Amino acid sequence: MLNIKDLHAGVDGKEILQGVDLCINPGEMHAVMGRNGSGKSTLSNVITGKEGYNISKGDILYKNESIIEWPPEKRALAGIFMSFQYPVSMPGVNNTYFLKAALNAKLKNAGEKELDAAGFLKLVKEKLTELNMDTSYLQRAVNEGFSGGEKKRNEILQMLTLEPEIAIMDETDSGLDIDALKIIANGINKYRNSERSFLVITHYQRLLRYLEPDVVHVLIDGKVVRSGGKELALELEEKGYHWLES
Amino acid sequence: MMPNYLHTEFQKILDREYFSKKVHPIRRKAFDSFIEDGLPDKKCEDWRFTDLSAIKKGNYRISEIDDGPTNKVNISKYGLESFNTIVIYNGHLQQDLSSVPKGIKILSNLEYMEQKNWEVSQPNLSSFDLLNTAFMDSGICLVIQKGIEIETPLRILFICSGEEKIMISPRIHIDLEESSSLTLVEQHVGDCNEYLYNGSVIMNIEDNAQLEHIRIQNNSKTTINMGNLHVTQHQGSNFTFNQFTLGGRLGRTNLYADLIEKGANCSLNGLSLSNDDQHLDAHIITNHHAPHCTSTQNFKSILKGRSSGVFNGRSIVQNKAQKTDSNQSNKNLLLSKDALMNSNPQLEIYADDVKCSHGSSTGALEPDALFYIRSRGIDQDSARALLVRGFGSEIIEALENNEIRDHITNYFNQWIDKNKQ
Repeated sequence: MLNIKDLHAGVDGKEILQGVDLCINPGEMHAVMGRNGSGKSTLSNVITGKEGYNISKGDILYKNESIIEWPPEKRALAGIFMSFQYPVSMPGVNNTYFLKAALNAKLKNAGEKELDAAGFLKLVKEKLTELNMDTSYLQRAVNEGFSGGEKKRNEILQMLTLEPEIAIMDETDSGLDIDALKIIANGINKYRNSERSFLVITHYQRLLRYLEPDVVHVLIDGKVVRSGGKELALELEEKGYHWLES
Repeated sequence: MMPNYLHTEFQKILDREYFSKKVHPIRRKAFDSFIEDGLPDKKCEDWRFTDLSAIKKGNYRISEIDDGPTNKVNISKYGLESFNTIVIYNGHLQQDLSSVPKGIKILSNLEYMEQKNWEVSQPNLSSFDLLNTAFMDSGICLVIQKGIEIETPLRILFICSGEEKIMISPRIHIDLEESSSLTLVEQHVGDCNEYLYNGSVIMNIEDNAQLEHIRIQNNSKTTINMGNLHVTQHQGSNFTFNQFTLGGRLGRTNLYADLIEKGANCSLNGLSLSNDDQHLDAHIITNHHAPHCTSTQNFKSILKGRSSGVFNGRSIVQNKAQKTDSNQSNKNLLLSKDALMNSNPQLEIYADDVKCSHGSSTGALEPDALFYIRSRGIDQDSARALLVRGFGSEIIEALENNEIRDHITNYFNQWIDKNKQ
C-alpha cells in the first residue's frame, strides 16, 4: 500500500528525515512513535503533500506509484487521508458544506454520481451517531470554537465519510480525555478491515492500548531505529526512548 | 482645487426652469462653501488614501432630460423583483416605473422643505455633502408615519446608462416617525462608461422606530460612486446598515450616524470586493451623544489585482454618553501581491464609564487552511474559493431578508468564480 524508501526530507535547508524506510501493507496498522522533534510530523506532512518541504533523496510509493510530485488533493483523491494534529478552524465555512464538497470531489473523481443535500445528510448522520456527535456539528463552521475533543472527532467523522484506503493519524490522542479517546479509538477500530491501512503517529503508548497496531516503529532524529510488535510500545512506555539512542 | 466644469454646470442648475428658485439660496450657500475649500486633497487626513483626480479632471456635466431612457426600461434583470421600487435613471425619477408600499408618504424635496418651513439643516461634513446640496437634482422624501410598520422592503434603484459623462446628485430624505419600521434597499446598477454619482441619503429615526438599510453598489467598473449617508437616531431607535460594494472604479461611502438620545442601537456592516484598479472606500463615523446606546462597525474587504481599499472607522463617545457599548472590527483579505488596504479603526472617548473595543487585521489566505482543504481532495482553486466565501459570508448571512440575501450571495459567488485563480 504505502512504501517509503530511504526518505530524506527537510525544511529551510535543514534535513529532518534522514533515511526513513517504512512499508505498510493493506490491512496493516503501523505506529510511529517518537519524541518531539524526532520528525513524526514531517513524515506525515511529506506523505500528504504539504508545501514547504524539500525531498532530497528517496521516494514515497503509494500502490507502487511515486507520489512525491503529486499535489495534496491528488493524494487525497487516491485514498490517502490525514487526521491532523491541529485541525484548522475556518470561520464562515460550514462543516456540512465542506464535507459534502470533499465527498463529492471524491465521487466525481471516481466517476460516480455526486450526492445531493438529502443523500449526503442521510449518510453523514449515520457516521455522527457512530461517533456520539449530535447534528448541531453540521451547522457549525469547520472546527471554529470546537474543543480539542470535538476537533479530533470531526477529523474521524471526515475519515469515516471520505473512506480513505490509508489513514495517517497524527497525534490523534493529544488533548483528549479518556472518554473521547475511547470513542475515537472505537471509531478507528470499526473502520479497520483487511484492505485499509493505518499509520498512527504518536508520542505516547496511550492510544495504542486501544488500537493494537501490527507494527511499531521508533523514530529518533529522523531515522527508524527500531521496529517491532505492539510490545515495543509497552517497552517504550516503561523505559522511555533513552535506551534506544546510540 | 476646484474643477472648472463645476462653475458652468452650477450655472446650468440655477438656470433650469423646472427647478424652484426658492432653493437657490441653499444651493448658492453650499456652492460658496465648496469653492472656499475645493475638493479635498491628500493632505486632508480623511482623504489621504482616496484619489480624486478623476473627478478633478473629469469634465462631467449635469444630467439633462435627454439623458433619460429612450426605450422602456426593463428592471427585472436587476433582481429583487418582488419589491416596490423607485427608479432613478441617470438622475431622473421614473414615475411610471416606480411604486411604494402602502403606508409610505411621498413628498418632493420642495414639499418637504416647505413642510419644514425651510428649516432643514443641510449636511456639511464633507465637500461632497456641499456639492450634493449645490447640485441636488432628483430627489424624494419618504415619510413612514407613526406606528406604521412597512412589511415589504422598498428599493431605490439607481440606473446609470449611456456614453455621456454625466454627474447626478440625488437627495433622499427618509423620515421614520415614532415606532415605525422600514427596510430600504439602495441599489446601484448600470453599464455606462463615465458617471459620477454623488448622492445623499438623510435619515431621521424617531423614538423606537427601526430602519434597515441595505446598500448594494454594483455600478460598472469605470464609474464613480460617492455615497453620503447621514443618520440621526432618537430614543430607543434601531438602525442596521449592510453594505455590499463591488462596483465602480472609485466608490466611497461616507456614513455619519449620530445617536442623539438614550437607548439607540446602530449596527453598521459592510463587505467590499475589488479587483483590477478599483478603489473602494468606507468612511464610517458613529457619534454617541447620549447614554446607554450601542453601536457596532463590522467591515470586511476582499481585494485582488492592483485594487485598493480603505476602512476609516471612527467611534466617538461624547462625555454625556455614559454606558456606551461600542465595538469596531475591520478584517481584510488580500488575494494578490499588489492589492493594498488601508485600515484605520479609531476610538475617540470622552466618557469614563463605557465599554469600547476595536480591532483590525489584514492578510492573505492561510496556507495551513488551504492545505487542510486540499488534503481532503478539494483542488486548489476550489479551496481558495471556499475560504474566500467563508470570509465574506459572515456579513451576508446576517441579512434577514431571504430575497436580499440570495441576491447578494449570487453576486458574491459570481465574483468568487471570476476571481478564484
